Amino acid sequence: MTATVGYLAIILAALASVGLVVQGLRGLGNGDRARAQHLQWPVYGLVGGATLAMIALEVGILTDDFSIEYIANNSATTTPFIFKVASAWAALEGSIVLWGLVLAAFVYTVYRGFARRSEPDRLGAGALAVMGIVSLYFFVLMATVSNPFSVCVEPASIGCLEGTHWPWADSLAALEGRGPNPLLQNHILMAVHPPMLYFGYVGMTVPFAFAMSALMLGAGGTEWLLRTRTWTLIAWGFLTAGIVLGGLWSYEVLGWGGYWAWDPVENASFMPWLIATAFLHSAVVQARRGMLQAWNFVLVIATFALTILGTFLTRSGVITSVHSFTQSPIGPALLWFLMVVLVASFGLFAARAHVVASSPRLDSLASREGVFLLNNLLLTVFAFVVLTGTLYPMFVEAFSGAQVGVGRPFFDRMAVPLSFGLLLAMGLGPVTPYRSAKSEVLWKRIRNPLRVALGVAALAVLLGYRTPWLVAFILAAVFVISVIVRQLYVTARTVSEKREISLPSAALRTMRNDPGYWGGQISHLGVALLALGIAFSANLTVEADITLTPGDTESVAGFDLTYVAPFTRQEPTRFVTGAQIEVARNGKVVSELEPRLNQYPTSTQSIATPEVDASWSGDLYVSLKSIDRQQVTLGVFWFPLIWLVWVGGFIAAAAVLWSRLVKKRSDEVSVEAEVSRDG
Amino acid sequence: MDSRTRTTVGWVVTVLLAGVVIVGMVVGDSAPQDRVEALGSSIKCPVCQGEAIGDSPSETARAMMEIVEEKVAAGESDPQIVAYFTARYGDGILLDPPVAGRTLLVWLLPVLAVAGGIWMILSRKRKPVSAGVDRD
Repeated sequence: MTATVGYLAIILAALASVGLVVQGLRGLGNGDRARAQHLQWPVYGLVGGATLAMIALEVGILTDDFSIEYIANNSATTTPFIFKVASAWAALEGSIVLWGLVLAAFVYTVYRGFARRSEPDRLGAGALAVMGIVSLYFFVLMATVSNPFSVCVEPASIGCLEGTHWPWADSLAALEGRGPNPLLQNHILMAVHPPMLYFGYVGMTVPFAFAMSALMLGAGGTEWLLRTRTWTLIAWGFLTAGIVLGGLWSYEVLGWGGYWAWDPVENASFMPWLIATAFLHSAVVQARRGMLQAWNFVLVIATFALTILGTFLTRSGVITSVHSFTQSPIGPALLWFLMVVLVASFGLFAARAHVVASSPRLDSLASREGVFLLNNLLLTVFAFVVLTGTLYPMFVEAFSGAQVGVGRPFFDRMAVPLSFGLLLAMGLGPVTPYRSAKSEVLWKRIRNPLRVALGVAALAVLLGYRTPWLVAFILAAVFVISVIVRQLYVTARTVSEKREISLPSAALRTMRNDPGYWGGQISHLGVALLALGIAFSANLTVEADITLTPGDTESVAGFDLTYVAPFTRQEPTRFVTGAQIEVARNGKVVSELEPRLNQYPTSTQSIATPEVDASWSGDLYVSLKSIDRQQVTLGVFWFPLIWLVWVGGFIAAAAVLWSRLVKKRSDEVSVEAEVSRDG
Repeated sequence: MDSRTRTTVGWVVTVLLAGVVIVGMVVGDSAPQDRVEALGSSIKCPVCQGEAIGDSPSETARAMMEIVEEKVAAGESDPQIVAYFTARYGDGILLDPPVAGRTLLVWLLPVLAVAGGIWMILSRKRKPVSAGVDRD
């Protein structure tokens, strides 16, 4: 019953998508039809179908309906409530349902903006049609090769061995479900990380759809860019938060002592982030100076294509990693869709190249535009490096059968200088005037921040931190931060004198007057902190494997770790083996840690849960590598100032809220405000 | 202080600080990583999902790490140790692709991308008709 309802909801959403495409295209062609009443029913149908499908899936999971194959294989009666809810998107078929729901939500917000307009809105109608094509694709996927509502015809004692496509077929329920993948039910972040990432991924459909609609209309100007600014920023914020949460999850759960491994699937989320970031910046150049019009089309197409590529890499099983749980026919389907997207969108772009006005040229490299171009160069090269590094082994294997490895050392070597260049551009950009910068003006604005940065870097050197890249990153990050602080101070001082108000309220006023620009600066601040955190953890992490028998003490990074005793305990969903570790510093006990290995009944591999003693100076991170009757082997890490990574990442993402919530009257105005005042 | 002295003092301070930073970076060695760790992060664990042997808790990876430790202790060079593993598991276990042979291209492509990007930017630049606009 639940399965039938869910499946029919998917069919409804697919049909509504067809309606949206047809009506949207008619609206695009004829202004009289580009009105809310013509698109209303397809939009409601899509939103209703997508919502109902998700509700059906959740109801099935929460009522332990193991006649549905997906639920029998990904949930269990013993699964805790929150992980049951999350298991709706913890595996392949369900995650596509979430994708569809998020897309429907974005269609709805675009439609709301469309319906509010008093004039016929051909651009909006076309954009809704493009979104309809994308949603049609995903709902057809759900109705065919990735059906979350297949019912079970051959149950096993735990889980389901074989399902059948049609949900109304006679089904046999499994007695007990298999439960989520152990890795995915080990931490609460699993409930949050995928939706965040999906909001980011799917949100990029909006600027893409408007760009395609603009090309179809032959309107190459800035309207599509300005109207989608909010969505692009919000999607970017979610993508950023999703990536940072993924890093935090990896740190808290995987126990290898890191947050980023250049795993292909991490790369898959990082590539669209890089290009979307480039797009956010080049959009400012177009809004302000009319340059880079064609380039913005390229970037927005690339961002969207990379989100599809990311889904393909994650969900097709072409790459082995913790994220690709399954081999499934969805791989080829996604690859085809990617090809269609690339050919159709670049084809349309080429066919309409003449409407994309030839942009004014760059006056001088030493200008804000010049720095934006540097930023775009570095970000796109970065994305290109990640793309080649990720796909290269696959291509070599496909063409020559030979296996080559491209891993962390390669990416690190490339990422370090590129990130350093980006930090420098981030410091220089906001203080460089448009058109052409006079060196005296520039110097006046950067000399004090530069001195502060040199001072802090010199202090680091004197304190003994002399690894060249570490010093360079401290220098660059402090420079970025002090440029922002200086600019706020200088502007606020003028405001406070003119209006005779205190400096803090003048600063707040400054930031509220230009939320788009200052949101960007807050984001830069977050990225600078993030970069510092990464530089510290990459260069100063202390790592040791120690083996102890009960009563033994060994010291790592100034901490004395004593193995007190092993323990075991049976929890509802897992069997836990752990070691009690007492941590002392200078003879004083500072904490008791219990790193554990969790054994899930459905998996042979045990999953480690590291334990972390976090403080402002850093994290003492202890993970259990092995344990037997006599002894225990621990991986012990000291991560100095690692909180900078999380805090910086969240500031960078949350800054979007500042740009969008502290709001000017209309989008157009905030985009104008996006561009900096010169201070 | 009059403004000239202030400027001079500013410059001296800037240069001094820059001097400290530069000297510090020159004398500092890059990443004081020990060889076992470096090798451990550049060899892929053949039975794991894309993890380096230094990161993976699996038994194979730990056994391989022990071999690395023994060989480093026995005084073998990095290339020798790497060759030992590639002879057994193939080139696929190298996480750090050599700048030669099949993986040369993965190093060259980014360089080409940078060159292409710079060329594109320069070609977008207005020809220096008026010298006054172009100075920095």
